[in-house]
Amino acid sequence: MRRRRPAVVAMLAAAALTLAGCGLGSEDSGGSGGAKPTVDANAQVTGEVSFQTWALKPKFTSYVEGVIKAFEAKYPGTKVTWLDQPGDGYDKKVLSQASAGQLPDVTNLPPDFALSLAKQNMLLDVAAADPKIKDEYVEGGVQAYQYQGMDGTFGYPWYLNTDIDYWNATKFAAAGLDVKNPPKTFDELLAAAKTMHDKTGGKEYLMSRLPGIGDFTNAGVKILSDDGKKFVFNTPEAAALLDKYRDAYKAGYMPRDILTNEYLGNSKLFTQGKVAWTTGGGNAIQDFNKDNPSLKGKVVPSPALDTPPLYVQGLSVSAKTKNQAAAIALARFVTNAENQAAFAKIVNIFPSTKASASDPYFSKSDGTPESDAKVLAFESLAKAKVLQPPVISGATNDFIGQQISLAIAGKISSQAALDAAVAKANQLLTQ
Amino acid sequence: MRHQRWFTPWVLVIPALTWLLVFNLWPSVNTVILSFTNAKPLGGGTFVGLKNFETLLHDEQLRWALLNSVIYMVVCLPFLTVLPLLLAVLVEKKLPGITFFRTAFYTPVVASAVVVALIWQWILDDRGLVNGLAEKLGVISGPLPFLSDQWLLLLSAISLTIWKGLGYYMIIYLAALGNVGRELHEAAAVDGAGPLRRFVHVTIPGVRGTMILISILISVSALRVFSELFILSGGKGGPGGRDNSVVMLIQQYSQGFEGNLGYASALSIVLFFVTVVPMLVLARINRRGAEA
Repeated sequence: MRRRRPAVVAMLAAAALTLAGCGLGSEDSGGSGGAKPTVDANAQVTGEVSFQTWALKPKFTSYVEGVIKAFEAKYPGTKVTWLDQPGDGYDKKVLSQASAGQLPDVTNLPPDFALSLAKQNMLLDVAAADPKIKDEYVEGGVQAYQYQGMDGTFGYPWYLNTDIDYWNATKFAAAGLDVKNPPKTFDELLAAAKTMHDKTGGKEYLMSRLPGIGDFTNAGVKILSDDGKKFVFNTPEAAALLDKYRDAYKAGYMPRDILTNEYLGNSKLFTQGKVAWTTGGGNAIQDFNKDNPSLKGKVVPSPALDTPPLYVQGLSVSAKTKNQAAAIALARFVTNAENQAAFAKIVNIFPSTKASASDPYFSKSDGTPESDAKVLAFESLAKAKVLQPPVISGATNDFIGQQISLAIAGKISSQAALDAAVAKANQLLTQ
Repeated sequence: MRHQRWFTPWVLVIPALTWLLVFNLWPSVNTVILSFTNAKPLGGGTFVGLKNFETLLHDEQLRWALLNSVIYMVVCLPFLTVLPLLLAVLVEKKLPGITFFRTAFYTPVVASAVVVALIWQWILDDRGLVNGLAEKLGVISGPLPFLSDQWLLLLSAISLTIWKGLGYYMIIYLAALGNVGRELHEAAAVDGAGPLRRFVHVTIPGVRGTMILISILISVSALRVFSELFILSGGKGGPGGRDNSVVMLIQQYSQGFEGNLGYASALSIVLFFVTVVPMLVLARINRRGAEA
């Protein structure tokens, strides 16, 4: 009996390996042209179509239902089935839908989600059916759904947001800093952080976040090679930026627990009145005031340091939709200027349509800090850029963050951290 | 005389066998298959031979994770094998109010690991209870980095695990102590053995089998630790990811649209073998002890 065991194991292993060979599809080339639509913009719009949003119920139920009603009225014979998924675990939900081949016809997907689905030919190239897309939507929004090495546009930009800076006026005054003239660059921020630390005996902090890929982009560091197939951000400039952060951390200009990398740490600490600076969307000031009323009147907004980040949400169309014409028409209808403007007036986001640029609602302040912040964010959109390429996956981002925190803690040199991060990121990119 | 057909037993076991094959055996086989591929959650992926295992050999993160898991096991094993036994011996006595102590020791077991870890996070934070009290008393000048220092974070997580596990293993020992004959203690006492000698020569041999079982349970749990480290490190595995456990690494690599299922499966196989070794060692010790 015992002598037979190795043979049995070998047979099982051979069977497993054979199964492995049979059971898997072909490798995705990563340079696909995406799924092309078989209809054009003039195709007749009729029939049923499903529409999935991300955490819009119950707050925006009446708005979405109104848009759906208007669509069904505009295109008689259509019926929209609306699905709304909870905020938590949306990526897992979309992943399971896509794996099961049950992606809704029109789905709200941020660019990084859309990239993974587009690589597997699960999304339609909407620009192929609707060439007007680049004329009617802002360039940054459309570009967010165009990927290096892939031909096509895999989503209609729905709404945009960006970050601006928020400063705590009381803490600025305590440190002898002028909140009306806040830092405009990273170097000015460092200088202000030092002043705040020195003037308050190390009791107050200005900065409270670790750098990330977006900060490298802002420092002029190239993240990806031109062909998008290799990470190249392990440059002396990136190392110099990390060195500055490391020195600031060592000098006590930042709370020590930023190394625990808690999500939204700087925003939480700012809300709790523990640090004097955070970044946030145009509506963040309302959250600060709501979550900590003692901050009311003490928060001063200003434009983001260097280049503001661009955050995009969009609507993508499933390649498997049985009703391409209606799906494309619905995605286009939900994201048109009129519907986006109406949406932006009930929630603090900004439209991705060029026609909305002249809307005074976004461009004129009524003089309140909340309105100032909104206008500031809207103006920032003009020069905002996607600072982190969507090709950076969760695992890659985690590893980069871990290496950065090692460098900041002084455990390894900045260059060594970047080299390790790039090596791992490239390994994960090619797997 | 009824003739039983040869296939009757097989028909009867088919439901259970199907369940076993579909939900137990197939996932394990599939993990082995995936470990030889570069599969992703959305499909695709090809056979890559031993590439994932070659990558494992040079993976510094895995080295740290294995070291953490082994340290976890080595520290937890003696504490969680001996302390609960001492506690069980203490609370076994029928004294007034002893139920209160039994309940108190068991309470952390009932609380969810997530809730407990969150409470400990608040306790150990730079601005938390421990640092706040110690600073107020003038014991320390600045906060101790329980959650931001690589080794202190690991130690904090181990402490949490020990604190949470005490009551659980105490209950198991209590049940085992009930089976240790009172007459043995009485005979030892008549022969002049004091409490300590009775504990060493009567109690411990009486619960030896339970101790081995508990040792195996602790070893497996310690090597597969996740919740405590995940929550205390904010999900990031501490500074530089050096407080990751192997299970945390598996979670990190398999998450999201671009999750690397092949590599995560290879990590799972490593974890399987790492977990099996101490189990076999302890089982052998148990067998030898039984033969002696």
